Amino acid sequence: MRKIMTLVVLVALAVSVGTAAFAEADKPLAGRSISIFTAATGKDETFAEFTKDTGIEVHYLEISSGEVLSRLRASGGKNLADAWFGGGVDSYIAAGEEGFLEPYRSPEAELIPDEYKSPEGYWTGLSLVAVDLIVNTDVLKEKNLPLPKTWLDLGKPEYKDELMMSNPTISGTNYAVIFHLIRLFGEEAGWDLLRKMHENIPFYTKRGAAPPNKAAMGEVAIGIDPYDVGVQLIAQGYPVVSIFPEEGVPGFLAPIALMKGAKDMEAAKAFIDWCLSKRGQEVQMTYTAKVGTRPDAEVPEYLQGLKNAKIVVADPVKVGEMRKGILDRWQQEFGSKAEQ
Amino acid sequence: MVPKPSSSTHSKGAFLPDASSVLYALLTGGVLVFILWPTVAILKESVLIDGAFSLERYRDLLTDNRTLLKNSLFVGWWTAVLAVLIGLCCALYVTRTAFRGKRAVLGVLLMTMIAPPFVSSLSYIMLFGRRGLVTWRLLGLRWNPYGAHGVVLMESVGLAAAAAFLIMAELRGIDRSLEQASFDLGAGRWETLLRVTLPLARPGIVTAALIVFIRSLSDFGTPMFIGGNYNVLATQAYMTAMGSFDLPKAAAISTLLVIPAFLVFLVYRKLMAGAPLFSSKAVAAGEERSLPAAVRWFVFAVVWSFVLFEGMKYGAIFCGAFVRTWGVDYSFTLQHLHTLQFSKLASLLRSVRYSFVAALAAGLMGVVLARFLGRRATLFSRIVDFIADLPFILPGPFFGIAYLLAFNRLPEAFLGTGFLIVANCVYRQLSLGIKSGVSVLGQINPELEDAVRDQGGGSLAVLRDVIGPLLMPAFLVSFINTFTFTMTTIGGIIFLVTPYTKVLTAEMFDAIQSGDIGASSVMASVIILVAMTVNTAFSWLLLKRRTKGSEAEYVSSVGAAR
Repeated sequence: MRKIMTLVVLVALAVSVGTAAFAEADKPLAGRSISIFTAATGKDETFAEFTKDTGIEVHYLEISSGEVLSRLRASGGKNLADAWFGGGVDSYIAAGEEGFLEPYRSPEAELIPDEYKSPEGYWTGLSLVAVDLIVNTDVLKEKNLPLPKTWLDLGKPEYKDELMMSNPTISGTNYAVIFHLIRLFGEEAGWDLLRKMHENIPFYTKRGAAPPNKAAMGEVAIGIDPYDVGVQLIAQGYPVVSIFPEEGVPGFLAPIALMKGAKDMEAAKAFIDWCLSKRGQEVQMTYTAKVGTRPDAEVPEYLQGLKNAKIVVADPVKVGEMRKGILDRWQQEFGSKAEQ
Repeated sequence: MVPKPSSSTHSKGAFLPDASSVLYALLTGGVLVFILWPTVAILKESVLIDGAFSLERYRDLLTDNRTLLKNSLFVGWWTAVLAVLIGLCCALYVTRTAFRGKRAVLGVLLMTMIAPPFVSSLSYIMLFGRRGLVTWRLLGLRWNPYGAHGVVLMESVGLAAAAAFLIMAELRGIDRSLEQASFDLGAGRWETLLRVTLPLARPGIVTAALIVFIRSLSDFGTPMFIGGNYNVLATQAYMTAMGSFDLPKAAAISTLLVIPAFLVFLVYRKLMAGAPLFSSKAVAAGEERSLPAAVRWFVFAVVWSFVLFEGMKYGAIFCGAFVRTWGVDYSFTLQHLHTLQFSKLASLLRSVRYSFVAALAAGLMGVVLARFLGRRATLFSRIVDFIADLPFILPGPFFGIAYLLAFNRLPEAFLGTGFLIVANCVYRQLSLGIKSGVSVLGQINPELEDAVRDQGGGSLAVLRDVIGPLLMPAFLVSFINTFTFTMTTIGGIIFLVTPYTKVLTAEMFDAIQSGDIGASSVMASVIILVAMTVNTAFSWLLLKRRTKGSEAEYVSSVGAAR
C-alpha cells in the first residue's frame, strides 16, 4: 500500500513538473491568477479552457451586473476583480462613465463591429443574448391551449394566469422586452399589449431566470426567457420548447471589460484577448447559448436557431436614456402587482 | 531622561495596564468597530445626499411603503402566533406527556434549526407548488401557492423549532413540585395547566413570540421566493440594494424595518434580564400524564403533523439531489453530484473553514467578554452589552450592506481573505456567547474563587481551575451556534463574498435563483449534513460534561435565540 502511494505521489509530481515545464514554453503568463466578476452561464467550463490554454488561474464571483455597480459605488471603485465578464451593457456604460473601468482596445476586437464596442474603449461586446419564450407543452396540452407564436398572442385572454415575466425594474432582460415591444408596436399599441399581458401575469418575479424555470416546472405555461437559461432547461429534460415570437425578439449585448486598478493588468488583458479570440468565442458558444460577436467564429449547430431568429439589437445608449421614463410609467400602471 | 525609580514602582498598579485590561479594551473595541461603526455608517448613508445632511429619503418613505410595513407586521404577527402554538405543542409533548418518539421530535426540531435559508421555499414549490408533488400530482389540486398564506406557513414552521426550544427550556426549569402541589390540593388537569404550568412558562412563551416576530420581520428570502406579489419590507430593502442598486434607499428602508424590531427588542431585553439560560435547578422527574386528554391529543396531532411536514420538506430536498428532473422524470441519478466539482468543492471547504474560525472566535470572545461584562456593572459595560445585542435585530442584508459601506476601503488583505465574512458572522452571534457565558458565571459561587485564592492560587489559577472548566459549556454552545450560523447564513455575507472568498451558501443561492433543483438540492443536503454532524458531535461533547438532567436541547434552547 505504501509503495503504491509513493508511486502515485511520484507520478503526480512528475506529471505536474512536466506540465509546468512544458507550459513555460508557450504560456508566458502561466502560474499567474486573475479574478473576475461574472454574470453568465457555462462559466466553469469556459474558464477551465482558458486556464488550459494560458496557464492563468481564474477566480470568479457570480454577481449581477447591477450589483457590481452598486459595490463599486459603495467602495469608491476599490474592488478585488481584474476583469468583468458578461451581464447587462447598461451597467458597463454607467461604470465607464463613473470612472471604474480601464480603457482597453484588444487587438482581437478588430473584426467585431463598432456598434458592439464602447467608443472610449471601456468595454467590448462579447456575445449577443436573445430573449425567447419558454413554453411548457404539457401544460398547454392539459389546458387545451394553442402554442403562442407572436408577442400579440401573449395578450390573449385564454392565457390568463399562464404567463410569467420578471419585474423590469429589476431584470434587464424584461426591461429589454418592454423597450422592444414599445418600439415594435409604437407607443400606444405597445402599452396596450403590455396592459393585456399584465392581465395574464399572476405576478412579476424578481429574477430574470425565474419565469422560464416556473414554466419548466409547469407552474405557468409560458415564461419570458433569457435564451441561455431556457436552453439549459430543455437539456435537463423539462417538457418545454423555445419559441421566438414572429415579430422579432430583443437582443442585447454581453460585454467584457478591464477594471481600473486591476492587480495583474497583463494577465487580465490576456483574458480579454482570449475571450474575444476566435477560439475563445467558439469555446463560449459551446458552453453558453449566446452568439459571439466575432463574425468569423463558428456557430455550433444547437445555436443555429438563435442565429436565424429575427433578433433586433437595440442601441445601448438609447436603451439607457429611455429607461427611467419607461420604467416610471410601468411602475405607475402595473407596479401594484409587483409590489403590494 | 532616567525615570525616577520610586514613581515607576508606585504607578505600576494604577497606571500600567495589566494583560486583562488590554484584553478587555481590545474586545470592547472590537464590538464598537465591528457593530457600532457599520451601523452608524449605514444610517449616515441614508441621511446624506451629496455629502449634505437631509431627511429627504425618509420623507416619503412611510407613505410609500405603508403597505409593505403593514404586510411585514401582518406576516410577523401571524407567524409569531402560529410558530409559538406549534412550539408550545412540541415543548409540551417532550416535557409533559408519556408519548413515544420524543427523540424523533427533538431530532426534527434540531434539523429545522439548522436548515439553510431558501431551502424551505425551494421544497415548498417542489411539494406544494402549482405543479407540486403533493398538491398537483397526488391531490390534483389547483391552487395558488404564492402569497401571504405561503409565507406565513413556511415561516411559522421554520421558526417553530426556535420557539419550541425556548419554551422547552422554560418548562423544564419549572419546579415540578408546584404542579404536584396543585394536584394534591385537588385541582384538575385543566386548572393545573392553565393556572400553574402555563403562567410559569410565560416568560419562555413571550420570549419565543418576540424572537419569532423579529426574525420574521427580517426574513427576506421566504417572501422573495414564494410571496408572489405579496411583498414585505425586508424583501424590498434587499431588492432595492441588489436590484435597483440604490444603497442609500435600501439603508432607509431597512431603518424603517428596524424601528418595530427595536421596540420589540427592548421588551425582550427586559424579559431576558432575569432569565437564566442555563438552569441549575434539579429537575425532578414528575408525573408525565398531567395534561387533560383533549390537550394531550391536540398536542399529539399538531406535533406529528409538524414532524410529517418537516419530514416531507427535507425528504424532498434529499430526493431532489438524486432524481433526474424533479416534476418530470423521477428516475434515480448520481449526475447532480457533479455539481460539487470545479469551484463548488473549494467553496464547501472554505465554508467549513470560515465556520470553524468564526465559531472558535465567537466562542472565546463570548465567554471572555461575559466574564468582563458580568463583573463590571458600569454604564460603559452596559452600553457595550447593548451594542453587542444590536445585530440580533438588524436584518442580515442591513448588516451586510453596513459592512460593505464601512470596510470596503480596507487593504486587500482583509477583503481577499474572508476576514469580513468571518467578522460579520462572529459579531452577529457574539451576544449569544456573552449571554450564555454570563448565565453560567452567574451560577458560580464567588466563594469558590476566593477559596482558590486563599489556597494561594493566582488569578491565572482561578481562570484555569475554576472558571475555565465551568465556562466550557457556554463556549461549546456558542461554538455550535456560530458554526451552524456561518455554515447556513446568506443575507449578510452575500454582499461580502469576493472572487476569492466564495462560500457554499452563496453558490446555492445562485443555483436556486437559476432554478437548478438538482444542484440546489445537492448543495443544501451537503450543508445540512455538515452542520448536523458538527451539531451532533459537539452536543455530545457538551453532554458528556453535563451529566445531570440535560439533553441536546440545552444547545438548541440557546441557539434558538439567534
